[in-house]
Amino acid sequence: MLIENIKLAFNAMRGSKMRTALSLLGIVIGVASVVAILTIGQSASQSITESIAVGGLDMITIYPSYGQRTTGTFTEEFSDMLIRDVEGLQTVLPQNNSSARVRYGKESMNASVAGVLSDYGSVLNLAYTEGSFFSDMDNINRRQVVVLGSTVAETLFPEQEALGQYVSLFRNQAKSYLVVGVLEAKDATFNLSYDNTVFIPYNTYGQRFLRTSGVGAYVVKVQEGYDTIEVSDRVTEYLDDIVGTDGYSLFSPATLAEMANQITGTFSAFLAAIAAISLLVGGIGIMNIMLVSVAERTKEIGIRKALGASPSVIRGQFIVEALTLTILGGLLGVALGSLLSYAVTNLMDWSLHLSYASFILAMGFSMFVGVFFGWYPAMKASRLDPIDALNYE
Amino acid sequence: MAESVIRLQDVRRYYVMGEFVVKALDGVSVDIKRGEFSSIMGPSGSGKSTMMNLIGCLDTPTSGLIDIDGENTAGLNETELAYIRNRKVGFVFQQFNLLGKLTALDNVIVPLLYAGMSVRERKQKAADALERVGLSDRLYHRPNELSGGQKQRVAIARALVNNPSILLADEPTGALDTKTGNQIMELFEELNSEGRTVVIVTHDRELGMRCHRQIRIRDGRLEE
Repeated sequence: MLIENIKLAFNAMRGSKMRTALSLLGIVIGVASVVAILTIGQSASQSITESIAVGGLDMITIYPSYGQRTTGTFTEEFSDMLIRDVEGLQTVLPQNNSSARVRYGKESMNASVAGVLSDYGSVLNLAYTEGSFFSDMDNINRRQVVVLGSTVAETLFPEQEALGQYVSLFRNQAKSYLVVGVLEAKDATFNLSYDNTVFIPYNTYGQRFLRTSGVGAYVVKVQEGYDTIEVSDRVTEYLDDIVGTDGYSLFSPATLAEMANQITGTFSAFLAAIAAISLLVGGIGIMNIMLVSVAERTKEIGIRKALGASPSVIRGQFIVEALTLTILGGLLGVALGSLLSYAVTNLMDWSLHLSYASFILAMGFSMFVGVFFGWYPAMKASRLDPIDALNYE
Repeated sequence: MAESVIRLQDVRRYYVMGEFVVKALDGVSVDIKRGEFSSIMGPSGSGKSTMMNLIGCLDTPTSGLIDIDGENTAGLNETELAYIRNRKVGFVFQQFNLLGKLTALDNVIVPLLYAGMSVRERKQKAADALERVGLSDRLYHRPNELSGGQKQRVAIARALVNNPSILLADEPTGALDTKTGNQIMELFEELNSEGRTVVIVTHDRELGMRCHRQIRIRDGRLEE
């Protein structure tokens, strides 16, 4: 019976192609927009996560507040305390940041200056076009050596190797630093720009460059197998106990990524809800065509009733017809929505993440629309008086 | 004496039209036995169509009792009436009333569909019925590819296919020329001689007289 009803539905569609196509369009557009919005949303949030991940999803940075830097809490030794007291930390590197005018010959530019330990290069997986990171000995002996970010190197040394040259860092007074390495260009995230930074040994920074005893920031690497967000929650708890919430600020790409995902998720859910309304409007189109279909086939309904079709059989016929329409529209919509998502993600240079949940959601919803809006016309058909229907011309 | 297939007892069918009550049937009692070949005759407006609709269970009486094949139809709901139309009554209409998009075979299959028969069985039965009316070479033709006489034969095959107790024909030759009409009547006569109960509703005196029994109706009452 179901198969016959589906055949009948296709017969009816063939009988009025233009009308069918137009009312299908409503469903197709509705389903396509739901699918496209959810898929594009998911792809967008995925690509945001990926771009945040450049900053290292396993990294946390702690910035002591200015007032806290001289209280003696945030010292170099605090790194070891942190590793000991908080579970899941692999390394904690103290660092200091400021900026300086960097000059070589006639070329000069403003760059960030970071005073870091020699482990910094390996912990952050830095890669070099020339030389390498400075050594622990450089740090212990407070040598005036520098590793240049790629932009700095390109600006100061447009036509020659930087390695082995002396650049001057000007801050209050100029001092020369020997270039021991140049970094490969590295994507920047947020306030971390490697390319515009020069790296000097931590001790050199504190005792020769700025003469400071405080620590500007701690770069924390989370142990493998630990969830960065959980670990950063633990770090937050720990620091709150020691210096209070105002004593520091904490930054982690993972937390940020999660926040960004939540925002895009909420946003695309909101847009999908709007798209669902267009699906509802498509449903009204289905109701319209079904009412026309019932009116047009009044005579047929009369004949079928005379031949023994019960009201429920007639109702079933027209509900199956409405369902067939919406399922067909749903399938076309999923195809169109996927195509649209493909086009948009391609254009935005995101990787495509098809949202299968959205397929099921959109198909389910359009089927619901079919039953919901097909019900009234089908009831109307089933309640037709057989004699009136037979005599209908 | 053969058993009754159609029994009407004091059947009335009134229509309320605004302030007026139209008495389409006003106390009709009729008893048609199995195997009879009867005509219900009367001019237009006499109530013969109302009577046919009541016998065919397309309509229910205002009062009175109608038994079809020994079953009392009083108080049956739409679904139960549909069941009787499907199993006990075979309709043949003046305008054939075939479904234009279906082939002859599929048209004949429709009643079997509602009887819940398997695909293979209904195909076989429908083909047999079409063979019985002499159309075994027209199974896959659509109504617009058939002549009037052929269409009516398809309609008769469709009426026969569920092996109903009554063959109920409403002006079956009304849309046909004399010669074709004659052939259709001969088919009805043949079916009757095989033991089928045939009731033909007509205003055509000559046609009515070809049946073995005439039930005359005028102004909603039987004429004796």
